Amino acid sequence: MGDRDIMKKEINFALYAIKKNIQSSAELRASFLMNMFGMILNNLGFIILWVFFAKIAGNIGGWTANDVIGMLGFSSLAYGVVFSFGSGLRNLPDYIASGVFDRFMLSPKNLIVRIATASFDTSAVGDIVFGFVCIVVYLFLISATLLQVLLSLLFVFLSSFLFLAVTISIVSVGFFFSDASPVTQSLFELFITPSLFHGGAFQGGLRIFFTFIIPSLVVGTLPIEAIRDVSIEKAIMVGFLGMVWFVFSLGLFGKAVKKYESSNFMSFGV
Amino acid sequence: MKQLRLANSIIKMMIKDRIQYPARLIVDTFGIIARCGVLLILYRYVFRYQGGLIQGVTFQIVAWSMFLYFSFMTLRLRDLAKSIMQDIKTGTVEILLSKPIHYLNYRMWWQVGAGMYPFFVATFLGVVALFLTVGIPESMQSWFFVGTFFITFFFAGILSLLIYSAVGLLAFWIEDVKPLYWIVDKSVMILGGSYLPVALFPETMYKIAIFSPFGASQFITSTVYNTWKIDYLKLMGIQLFWIIVVGFIVVYIFNRAYKKVSVNGG
Repeated sequence: MGDRDIMKKEINFALYAIKKNIQSSAELRASFLMNMFGMILNNLGFIILWVFFAKIAGNIGGWTANDVIGMLGFSSLAYGVVFSFGSGLRNLPDYIASGVFDRFMLSPKNLIVRIATASFDTSAVGDIVFGFVCIVVYLFLISATLLQVLLSLLFVFLSSFLFLAVTISIVSVGFFFSDASPVTQSLFELFITPSLFHGGAFQGGLRIFFTFIIPSLVVGTLPIEAIRDVSIEKAIMVGFLGMVWFVFSLGLFGKAVKKYESSNFMSFGV
Repeated sequence: MKQLRLANSIIKMMIKDRIQYPARLIVDTFGIIARCGVLLILYRYVFRYQGGLIQGVTFQIVAWSMFLYFSFMTLRLRDLAKSIMQDIKTGTVEILLSKPIHYLNYRMWWQVGAGMYPFFVATFLGVVALFLTVGIPESMQSWFFVGTFFITFFFAGILSLLIYSAVGLLAFWIEDVKPLYWIVDKSVMILGGSYLPVALFPETMYKIAIFSPFGASQFITSTVYNTWKIDYLKLMGIQLFWIIVVGFIVVYIFNRAYKKVSVNGG
């Protein structure tokens, strides 16, 4: 079987698993809707805070309140895409600690795809809806040109791709600790928090650190600046960083899995 | 007396547990660095950009105000809602209700004990870091501040426990209280002065923060401002008012829930 056939089969499997996850979550309709709208309201809190901040602090680093809305849109959308369809990744440290990871090892499917699609987070659908609305509102507020709209579509893909790569890297760290959940949670906190902060206030060393060492600004801040300034250089940089992190995350995951030792718990899984 | 002995043993047990398993400490320390640390660096830049003063407030005051919010958060009193929800979902509440101790008392003391160790360590490190970097504002250098701070802190703790108990207890009726928890938690975050200090609020938002239970549960962030000496009695009065109101609501919900539960045993 050729590489292309294998990849096609893996994608088909992932889509099937996602479809089943959505169907199963939608069974509890009230809970599904409450989680979704609850998350949208939850995210609105950030908009209120940063819009007030932008009004008080004025124009910082060329950023206005509109840019903050767009930035939160990209961050939420990337978060939502990765953690709704690939929510299992977040549970990986628990799978390792409890020995559930054995089941995934025995699966003939691609390990990352199998783990990612093992669970579905309904509240993250709220993040997707919220992110999408924010981006549309942002494009409307800046009276976007066709090129800016196309750039936005490209960045939805690029920032989600980078978010996925960083998430894989963070959860891979879980293989190196016996109780890894707090460590991965802390690393994730360090990554996600600056991606929700007012992008214009990141200047100098702080900007370099949160772009190249911890790529938080690549998720929302850089895409907004690239769309606003129609900067192809920044778009290339976001794509390049995404690729680098993706290659790195696959390498780290491959090495980390080799560290895994079965917990030998007496449990059965389906 | 019996209640105090119970509280004492639960808190002691939880502190020992947290010292033995310092995972929570790692999360909280990183959390405070990631959120408060980065936020303070941003605000320092903004204050410098604005000439050192925004709405008559200095960076030093804002830094302490925001730090107090994040330090209080490491107590993790808000996790009480999740613990209660978990007890109800898993059925553990049945067992706990049949014990000779009051369920809510047990859960509240448990939560206080669980957060104490990370709170003291993270707060100590944060205070030292702030003292060395921005210094201590004049408004905090008096016995008046120390005395009123501890009373406000105490009231804030009780009010937070009551608010999150009420949210958690709703799990008896609602399948999943997480969305409600997010909304309450975000209200506390916005009105408590986390990312945007209370002193920088627009007038209407300031009034909502002052008169709502969510803002009142975080009045410790107001203690560092120069206006605290004028407002402290009013703000403490508001805290007491909400403690009584939310306390009654919690007792009412708990009694209704207690009637609803049937302990089957076995």
